[in-house]
Amino acid sequence: MTLNRRTMLKAGAAAAAAIPLFGSKAFAQEEPLKVGFVLIGTVNDNGWNFGHSEGAKYMKAELGDAVAEPTIVENVPEGPDCERVLRELAQSGHKLIFATSFGYGDYVIKVAQQFPDVRFEHATGYQRSENVGTYNARFYEGRAVCGTVAGHLSQTGKAGYIGSFPIPEVVMGVNAFVLAARKVNPDFTITPVYISTWNDPAREADAARAMIDQGIDIVAQHTDGPAALQVVEERGAVGGFGQGADMSAFAPNAQLTSIIDNWGPHYVLAAQAVIDGTWESKDVWPGLKEGEVEIGPYGPKVPEDVIAAAEAVKNGQIDGSMHIFTGPINDHTGTERVAAGVTLTDAELLSMDWYVEGVIPPA
Amino acid sequence: MQFRLEKRREPSKAMLYATPVVAVLLTMVVGAIIFSLIGFDGIGAVREIFFTPLTNAYKWQDLGVKAAPLIIIGVGLSIAYRANVWNIGAEGQYVMGGLAATWIALLTYGMSGWWILPLMVVAGIAGGALYASIPALLRTRLNVNEILTSLMLTYVSVQLIYYLVRAPWKDPMGMGFPQTRRFSADALLPNIFPGTIVHAGVPIAIVVALVAWFVMSRSVFGYQMKVVGAAPHAARYGGFSENKTIWLALLVSGALAGLAGALEVSGPFQRMVPGFPTNYGFTAIIVAFLGRLNPLGVIFGGIVIAITFVGGEVAQTSIGLSNAATGVFQAMMLFFLLAGDILVRYRIRRVVPQTAEARS
Repeated sequence: MTLNRRTMLKAGAAAAAAIPLFGSKAFAQEEPLKVGFVLIGTVNDNGWNFGHSEGAKYMKAELGDAVAEPTIVENVPEGPDCERVLRELAQSGHKLIFATSFGYGDYVIKVAQQFPDVRFEHATGYQRSENVGTYNARFYEGRAVCGTVAGHLSQTGKAGYIGSFPIPEVVMGVNAFVLAARKVNPDFTITPVYISTWNDPAREADAARAMIDQGIDIVAQHTDGPAALQVVEERGAVGGFGQGADMSAFAPNAQLTSIIDNWGPHYVLAAQAVIDGTWESKDVWPGLKEGEVEIGPYGPKVPEDVIAAAEAVKNGQIDGSMHIFTGPINDHTGTERVAAGVTLTDAELLSMDWYVEGVIPPA
Repeated sequence: MQFRLEKRREPSKAMLYATPVVAVLLTMVVGAIIFSLIGFDGIGAVREIFFTPLTNAYKWQDLGVKAAPLIIIGVGLSIAYRANVWNIGAEGQYVMGGLAATWIALLTYGMSGWWILPLMVVAGIAGGALYASIPALLRTRLNVNEILTSLMLTYVSVQLIYYLVRAPWKDPMGMGFPQTRRFSADALLPNIFPGTIVHAGVPIAIVVALVAWFVMSRSVFGYQMKVVGAAPHAARYGGFSENKTIWLALLVSGALAGLAGALEVSGPFQRMVPGFPTNYGFTAIIVAFLGRLNPLGVIFGGIVIAITFVGGEVAQTSIGLSNAATGVFQAMMLFFLLAGDILVRYRIRRVVPQTAEARS
């Protein structure tokens, strides 16, 4: 930390000479690599942001003295404020910066141009440049497992899905969930609700309440915290799923299982590549097979046969014998979009802007 | 033992201007103590939040960019509050200003011309003023409290953004993300120094504050605002219409909030996004009070608050202080300021229990 302050003071002195200079390369070699993480919420959200901070800890534990204690900046909004934080990290000697929310994209590209010797990695993004890579995890594989559990356990055959924004990342999760559920119960439907934020416990809980009031008994989510699960627990609905981390501490009965984001191994690889000088801009998208997406323990409400069915879906995706986006798939109006035996490509998944049959699209 | 607050006949002018400075100093001292007591590096926190942003040329740019909208909105609020008109909904007027400017930017998408940006700014001003006219109308016609209406209209404006960026204004190239297109080049606010992030909104903020100061201290309008606020009865006797003052106060504060919205959307944001409302309108309330409801003081207030924002991020990256700490520091500042105000205007008197005889 003193190093950092020294850098800042150095910068202050240099400011008088109009052009601030930051940590010269010769020194950077001997110093441990400084890695920065920019988060949309707080690390104690027990979900998305918690997952990233666990990944940061894992990276530090694996690489030891080769990396400095990771710098985590919380509650950074998706707007010009994040530009300032990214610049702040780059200026204070961080050579590898992970921006972990979709809406940071424009600003990552912008700041990366100003700091060509700093590597940036943008989670769930699609814009890359010389020193900006993107990384993501195949959460849809986990959603297919959750959807299988939901298809077996739902009594009303209706699920709700709390999403942030209807971006491909979220839309593909909704679709994977309902495709899997309809393999079990062909009448299964899902209602997505978009709350325009990744992390607002009050709105997540409100959405969950409204869903339960409308006869929905499974509440899935693509938002960051356990608020919705707590509502499901309290209202005694069938259940929901942990997002990003195991949330069973908040809803011991209602959490049927969880999708655990295991970012640690990727962070180790990326940091090691920067240290070795082999880092290059690319797009990585591992999933269950690589262990970046994990399925958490099953809750007490999930009987053995359902666990077996869910595990079969999980293992099928791991050994490659099954892909949830293999046709025939109809869209929500009943028109065939994917022919039998054809599997959507990654590019098609990453630009997905249509709902499959069984989704009741928001107006 | 009982205490009573007794109004001072003549609050000390010097003290009145010293309170904001004292409040900032007290915040630093108490903040350092509290954070040390709960096991953080308290002095380090204060240093990183309040001083580091001042030691770095890059941070000055950030301060300017962050302070500009706070100053513009804060100036408008200081005028309204002087007239005892409590516009709490500057955030909503800021949003409507941003939306009006966005509307022009999208209508002229792909066009070029020097007139586009000025037109966006005018639209922003009009949007903010029009939105503020709703509480003005309700207050003057139906005597509805403007605090409630202006506040609630803020939430309406935020929903309007959500609707517009999801359906009619959605970026066709945005991968489904709810946001508008990035504005074309002539709809973007230029940077005044090449190679920096300081946009034209920063000098505009200073000009707005200077003009407002001149108007408030040298014109009949300013006099009217102050008299109606300070002594409504005398104002009525003097021929100043209370309703007219309410209208003027809301229109001016709404127009300036709208101006800030137009500058923000064409400058730092460059497109309308759901994250556009960033609480500038609410934070500007602290700024207005920190600036003693004086447009020149608002410049000071805006910079101090901007320091806490920028410094809060510095403290997160350098000493790992949680983001919530910034909020604690800002809240403490407002608390000390308001408490200081009470003590400047009132003195604390011990109340001696009196007997019935003594009273008669």
